[in-house]
Amino acid sequence: MTAPILAVTDLWAGYGRAPVIRGLEVAVAPGEVAVIIGPNGHGKTTFLRAVSGLLKPSRGEVLLDGEPVQGRAPEYVSLLGLVHVPQGDGLFAEMTVEENLLMGAFPASSWRARRRALARAYELFPGVRDRARQRARTLSGGERRLTALARGLMRPSRIMLIDEPSLGLAPVAIDTVYGAIAELKASSTTILLVEENFTHVGGIADAVHIVEMGVIVRSGSFDDLSRDPTVVGTYLGSL
Amino acid sequence: MSARQRLFPSMTPARWTVVAVLVVLVAAFPLANRDQYVLTVIVTALVLLVLNTSWNFVLGVAGVWNFGQLAIYALGGYGAGILMLHTPLPPWLAVLGGGVIAAVISVLLAFPTLRLYGIYTSLLTFAFAEIVQYVIINDGSGLTGGSFGFPTVPGLYSSLSPDASMRAYYWTVLGVVVASTVGLAAVNRSHLGIAIRAVRDAPAYTAARGINPLRYRVIAFAISGFLAGIAGGLYISFNQSISPSAMGLTPMSIDVTMLVIGGLGTVFGPLIGTALLTIVQTSLVDHPGIELTILGTFLLIVVVFVPGGLAGLIARTRNRVAAWAAEDEVTAAGGETSAGTGAAPDAAVAVGEAGAAAAQETAGEDETAEMRRRSS
Amino acid sequence: MSTTDLVGILVTTFILGSIYGLVAIGMTLIYGALRILDMSQGSMVMIGSFVGWGVLVVAGWNPFVAILLAFAATFLLGTFTQLVSVQPLMKRRHEIDFEMITFITTFAVAIVFTNLALEIFGPQQRNVTFVISGGINVYHGVNLPYQSLAMAVVSIVLMAALGVFLARTRWGMAIRAVAQDLDAARLMGVPVGKLYPLTMGLASALAGIAGVFLGGLYFASPQAGDQPLLIALIVVIFGGLGSLPGTVYAAYAIGLIQATAEVLVGTTWALPILYAVILLVLIVRPQGLMGKPSEARL
Repeated sequence: MTAPILAVTDLWAGYGRAPVIRGLEVAVAPGEVAVIIGPNGHGKTTFLRAVSGLLKPSRGEVLLDGEPVQGRAPEYVSLLGLVHVPQGDGLFAEMTVEENLLMGAFPASSWRARRRALARAYELFPGVRDRARQRARTLSGGERRLTALARGLMRPSRIMLIDEPSLGLAPVAIDTVYGAIAELKASSTTILLVEENFTHVGGIADAVHIVEMGVIVRSGSFDDLSRDPTVVGTYLGSL
Repeated sequence: MSARQRLFPSMTPARWTVVAVLVVLVAAFPLANRDQYVLTVIVTALVLLVLNTSWNFVLGVAGVWNFGQLAIYALGGYGAGILMLHTPLPPWLAVLGGGVIAAVISVLLAFPTLRLYGIYTSLLTFAFAEIVQYVIINDGSGLTGGSFGFPTVPGLYSSLSPDASMRAYYWTVLGVVVASTVGLAAVNRSHLGIAIRAVRDAPAYTAARGINPLRYRVIAFAISGFLAGIAGGLYISFNQSISPSAMGLTPMSIDVTMLVIGGLGTVFGPLIGTALLTIVQTSLVDHPGIELTILGTFLLIVVVFVPGGLAGLIARTRNRVAAWAAEDEVTAAGGETSAGTGAAPDAAVAVGEAGAAAAQETAGEDETAEMRRRSS
Repeated sequence: MSTTDLVGILVTTFILGSIYGLVAIGMTLIYGALRILDMSQGSMVMIGSFVGWGVLVVAGWNPFVAILLAFAATFLLGTFTQLVSVQPLMKRRHEIDFEMITFITTFAVAIVFTNLALEIFGPQQRNVTFVISGGINVYHGVNLPYQSLAMAVVSIVLMAALGVFLARTRWGMAIRAVAQDLDAARLMGVPVGKLYPLTMGLASALAGIAGVFLGGLYFASPQAGDQPLLIALIVVIFGGLGSLPGTVYAAYAIGLIQATAEVLVGTTWALPILYAVILLVLIVRPQGLMGKPSEARL
């Protein structure tokens, strides 16, 4: 059993006085695609923000490849190899697609390294390359999502956090996005993904964790969980 | 106390006595000390205190970044002066008239500020103040006297001897100070005050609950404008003239410094700020450069490190001392040891209470709560 | 109004507008990236004017040295200002009225700088004489001094350089990123703790250079920053807070209004007219030429 890339122990975090995450524990192995499923408001986004440093947890530990990062600034955590594709994409609206991608490679100080990363990203995401000169705010939902994913590839990462990739997208766009995620999985990217319902994750999830009221209540493989009638009823919606 | 809630729950009879004694001591001062220079400094400071109390109300309690208050103050003074010179009104009524004029102008200023975010409001009101100052400076018609200053007015007590007149002014302005401080503190505690603070802290929420923000902002501007105008009327009476130098960037920065250092939104903030700055100003009157450097540094330090100004600091220190003293005791009512100049909740307007839950901790509490703004 | 007047207005607009642009562009840059109104920019202009006086009059060196020294001095002071008056408040930015508090703290810094200058140099206005003399006779009687032309050209070059810096370089893009989405920028690894002071330093440095020019056009004194501050505020509001192109257009527009007003009603009323203009803008269209309505209106 290899050491997990990400190990979260007894994490408590929230906004103001009310904790949203109450003792969440999860681990992600290298190369794994872990999916966290849960209803809105139960801490999925809060959890990712607490891991990437946008939110300071009140208690608990987050180990990135063995190194404690809880409470550290997001600039620092991202330089350690954590990529967070936030909810709503976090694209720079007034910048072009290409500028957004280049920003993804910000830590690389040489121009050549950034250009190389750009070429690689365009290779994996030709649809994004076609829109290189377009301003981010004029993109469609699916295009924004793909651009955000491509941007996540612009620097070497140990783990990629993806927040609700299907949010607000039409079914066709969702398929495209998950297709892209599948490609990322194929190139051995470690991914921690959160979604509200797990209709689409079947093809890619290695491990599924269910979060309720800020804690993981069940974990298992996609097949196991999708056979459990209570889980299906609550989270699957229409398959 | 019986079923009816006290107006100032944290003011025990003991505290009232202390305040009363202090007021009496201050009032008795001119009987003991006849030095005209000292008395002039104090009266000037007291007039400024009335202005600062009014400004504290609109800035700290209503939460509107109104940088035009000096112009309103000056317009009140000029208004009173015009009434004194050109109408048969007795000086008292002229001063009140100045207050009314200032209130009207202040209300007019309230309308455009309602739709703007903080910074824009400050620039709008500041531009207004600059225009007023320019117009007066360049007034060739003789009405305001332009940059030479207003023609001499009799003032309130010209019939008395200089000594007696000084004392009369002293007690008059002191009376206005006490009345306005107590009055505004009472307003702060009342339904009106709660509503005003609710509009400040949670504008969307209060609007959704049916409280009209325009109405309360207009009321706040009217009250603060009236008081500022009275201060202006008192100024022109005491000095028997007024000039545009009462307005402008420098006096305004000094004034804002007084308010912020003292503690915005608190009851005693204006008092502390005005007193402190008067001391600094008079001791460094020959070195304006050093004086303002020190004030600027002080302002910076206070704003960054001491939220709530000095009044807030005093309140918090008092809390800590009280808590430390009460550690092993069981306190009977509990309410008496709570924060500074009044954090006891009012059972009043449910909406105001809910929407202004943070605002309940106003007078004496952190500037952080004071300046809370639900922004996008 | 005669043709001479018109040409005179155009010349003044060109010169004043360019320099005003240089003064204001830093302010709008700071607002975009830090979301604060930096009230110390005026004092940076004042410091620049004194550097100009020191270099050109006292030491007798050439204008380029003045520009370089002003840049260096105000860059450092601007960075210092950020670290002292803005950075300590960053942690609490969501609990307090951040924009207004930083308005006050940067204003406090301005008070300190201005009054230190007052104590050290005294209140008198000092002339800053440039070495370049002579000018072009643009039209009958309308003279465009070489000195003013050089100032305008340098200002334009600097503004363009800033534009290129922001558009093409890694750090320039980082500043834009922070302005558009702070959290996302931090997730990209942008060290905001370093970026903020550097941005303010850069902006202050531009104002400092403008100070050398304005000192040359008018004079150096501790109050030399007061009016430029107000003009900068007017320009950035008119152009739209945070929008660099808006600020540039607004600078020339304000220059035009001021030049026209001076010809029509005289210098005394030019400034109040500008205030009246900005008052109107704030009432009718607070987001200015190119700002976003959602940032100005409730």
